[in-house]
Amino acid sequence: MSGPAFLVLRVLLTVSLYVFLGWAFFMLWQDIHQQGTLLSLRKVPPLSLLIQREAMPPQIRHFTQAEITIGRDPTCECPIKDDTVSARHARLNYHHGQWWLEDLGSTNGTDLNSERMTTPTVVISHDEIACGKATLTVMLAGDVLLPPTQKMPKLEKKK
Amino acid sequence: MKRFRNPPAAQEIERRLLLIAASFVFLLALALTLSPAARERSWDTDYRLSQWAGFGLWLLVFGATHIFIRRRLPDADPYLLPLAALLTGWGLMTIWRLEIWFGVRQALWLTVSGGILILGLWLPSELRFLRRYKYILLTGGLLLTALTLVFGTNPLGNGPRLWLGCCGLYFQPSEPLKLLLVAYLAAYMAGRMPLSRRLLPILAPTAFVTGLALLLLLVQRDLGTASIFLFLYTVILYVASGRKRLLGISLAGVLVTGLAGYFLFDVVRLRVDAWINPWLDPTGRSYQIVQSLLAIANGGIGGRGPGLGSPGLVPVSISDFAFAAIAEETGLVGTLGLLTALGFLLCRGMCIALRASDRFRRLLAVGLTSYLGVQAILIIGGNLRLLPLTGVTLPFVSYGGSSMLTSFLALLLLLLISSQPEDEPAPLPRLQPYLLIAGLLGLGLLSAGLINGYWAVVRGPDLLTRTDNARRSISDIYVYRGALLDRSGSPITLTIGRPGDYQRAYLYPDLSPISGYTHPVYGQAGLEASLDRYLRGVQGNPASRIWWDHLLYGQPPPGLDVRLSIDLVLQERADTMLGNHRGAIVMLNAQTGEILVMASHPTYDPALLDDQAMALHQDNSAPLVNRAVQGQYPVGAALLPFQHATGANLPLSEVDEITLYSTLGFYDSPVLRLQVTAPSLPGEDLRLSPLQMALAAAALSSDGIRPAPRLAMAVRTPQQGWVILPALSEPVQALQAENSEATAQQFLVGGEPFWQWTAMAPLDGEKVTWSLAGTFSAWQGTPLAVVVLLEEPNPGLATHLAQALLEATLQPR
Repeated sequence: MSGPAFLVLRVLLTVSLYVFLGWAFFMLWQDIHQQGTLLSLRKVPPLSLLIQREAMPPQIRHFTQAEITIGRDPTCECPIKDDTVSARHARLNYHHGQWWLEDLGSTNGTDLNSERMTTPTVVISHDEIACGKATLTVMLAGDVLLPPTQKMPKLEKKK
Repeated sequence: MKRFRNPPAAQEIERRLLLIAASFVFLLALALTLSPAARERSWDTDYRLSQWAGFGLWLLVFGATHIFIRRRLPDADPYLLPLAALLTGWGLMTIWRLEIWFGVRQALWLTVSGGILILGLWLPSELRFLRRYKYILLTGGLLLTALTLVFGTNPLGNGPRLWLGCCGLYFQPSEPLKLLLVAYLAAYMAGRMPLSRRLLPILAPTAFVTGLALLLLLVQRDLGTASIFLFLYTVILYVASGRKRLLGISLAGVLVTGLAGYFLFDVVRLRVDAWINPWLDPTGRSYQIVQSLLAIANGGIGGRGPGLGSPGLVPVSISDFAFAAIAEETGLVGTLGLLTALGFLLCRGMCIALRASDRFRRLLAVGLTSYLGVQAILIIGGNLRLLPLTGVTLPFVSYGGSSMLTSFLALLLLLLISSQPEDEPAPLPRLQPYLLIAGLLGLGLLSAGLINGYWAVVRGPDLLTRTDNARRSISDIYVYRGALLDRSGSPITLTIGRPGDYQRAYLYPDLSPISGYTHPVYGQAGLEASLDRYLRGVQGNPASRIWWDHLLYGQPPPGLDVRLSIDLVLQERADTMLGNHRGAIVMLNAQTGEILVMASHPTYDPALLDDQAMALHQDNSAPLVNRAVQGQYPVGAALLPFQHATGANLPLSEVDEITLYSTLGFYDSPVLRLQVTAPSLPGEDLRLSPLQMALAAAALSSDGIRPAPRLAMAVRTPQQGWVILPALSEPVQALQAENSEATAQQFLVGGEPFWQWTAMAPLDGEKVTWSLAGTFSAWQGTPLAVVVLLEEPNPGLATHLAQALLEATLQPR
């Protein structure tokens, strides 16, 4: 009888080894799942642009996506039908808890608050972006920003 | 909003994983306790208990470490400690099971290492001191290692002198030197950021220091550590600079040094030769690797169970071959789990590196992870013959105080680096080097798993039948081996004793050239070898029973008794009469081919093999040879009766002669469950074994039909009782019936119911004497044929022997 009893023990031993590994992987998966869920819940703060062009009435557009391309091309998120605007002129990008403005190599250049842009720059409310002869005023909606960190808040601390 | 359950906090993950690891080690200790009962197949036995002390200490160390880590570094990675605990506990139990005293020492080292780990938790997690004092630390490490050149010892007595110490306490400085090198390189590279475009300014100082360390290790012949150094150097340089060219340079460097080492150092050549072809010299230079593969093969898929394997057969199984020991006892299932755990550990290490908040700590974490990974892969690969064997330890698992301490220090540093809750990860200019290193390490573990499966499953059954697999003779001690019985059931050779103490008893040593022996060192011979599968129980038992016993005990079921056709009464008479004369006697039932007597003199006593084996091998009179079937003797005029029986005119033409001899089977080996020498070829000088002659003589006594010889008659199976073993060949009509009867009449001995013919033949200046005899066809009783061969010119004795034996058989008292 000792043989079969010992076999049961051996099976239990192997099971405990794989329970250990399986559980460790499960925890890791849960961690990834949690981080992914938190990331997917993380809201991009809505951004509005007040667009002013020569001989045109001002126009307000609202955006909820994290990437806004400004240009003459109709596929841009924010198309501006103006000959002084390049096809893909500039881009607004949300990352690291900020909106960043970046010139996409436009012909006439992009000015931020009357200064020529060379590197990606953080924009805030009431900043004025000049693309060719069009002017866009940035308006950020409310204080819905998450703290500017990549690290997710530890949930247990919220308890 | 999608609902999700909050995963447990780090503390909770670590606690639960530690609990599962503890139950694993607990079950392991419990299995070791019960293993003697399973091995002896009885509850009444001596249980192993001492390893519980090791388990207690292990529990204490990791419990305390867990509490202190959570108090001091609440955000530290929660997977590292449980993984280390699992590996350490597994290793500790394995060592304890192999050598109790080394287990005790390992447990003490574990306590020391755990204590140092706990103290180290209070180090500042920026690890500035490592950066600041990098040169002092590394120089100190190198000096300590250099000291071994002068004061080095080896705790095991002989071998490379890599240790410092005295009074039973030994330390191998090259182990922590690996960590110091990693810390130095990480600090140097982090301080030189951004690296200049040219490689030389970076390479020069580090290459000098690393080269110094390598030189030291080469002088010491510590080649395993040297290759780890080279690997770590390449990894850190590559990760820091991102130049793929470095990998190529390093690979070329390894090849060049490897080739140089092969031609300059005997150690390297030996190891590489043993790696490329271990089967050439399995008892000498590649003994370790072959034994390691045998252990892995014996483990198979499910393993033999803790305490039930024989990993002690592999040399240094506690340190270098700990993996083979684990593979034997827990099988492929266990080692795949072990490799997965190692892979998990490396994964966490790389994650910690990527999340590190400055370059120094990132490089340090990569270096530490690579150190653990490459060392594990190097020794596991060595055990599996994936890589040449290097004497490094398996981190956390193998026996060795310095190795344990070093692994724990690496663990400590990784824990410290992982514990930076609020810091942002440092910018990562290139991800590719990290992925490549992680991929390489993962690939190493994966190929170890695959090759492990190959040895355990594909090649396993094949390997286990090798004669240098000592497990066969170990199972002979625990499992009943079948007996050899004579035709009336009297034992010739049998097994006595109880499980755990079985011994082979040779009751009739005079028969030993035929019945043979089974011996743990000298192997098997005679019927013991040819009937081994029945006697061992792996043939004749139901397949399910064999499978079940192998699963439960790793042993075959009890062996089966085999009944021979030998008649011990007649055999004894033949042996007494033959006495000290060199020669052989074969007597068989002319009709059925059952061999009643088979004697070969001189004989030997298998019970005395331990003392006499060498002498027996070198003895000119060749007592180990079974003359009756392996002896080949010239025939001279002995074949006259057969030539008569053709009915043609004598002398026969050469063509007729060859036809006659081939029908009499002189050009074929008799098919018998015994090792038989190759027969003569037509055209060359005819030489015959006494058995061949006896089978031909039997044709004269049974209407010209040459019977098929039979020696093993029946085997006693548990289900069906005695099962007849059929003859292995068919009877042949070799001579015409009337011719053979006429010949028998012609050679009839006056007043006796049998014919006889005695003749001599020259052999190397000496002469041998043949005497053939047999009943004639009209004889109403059992037809018999007998052949006597003497390695001396003695027709009188040969005639007398044959006659006396026939008379004794025909007129039993």
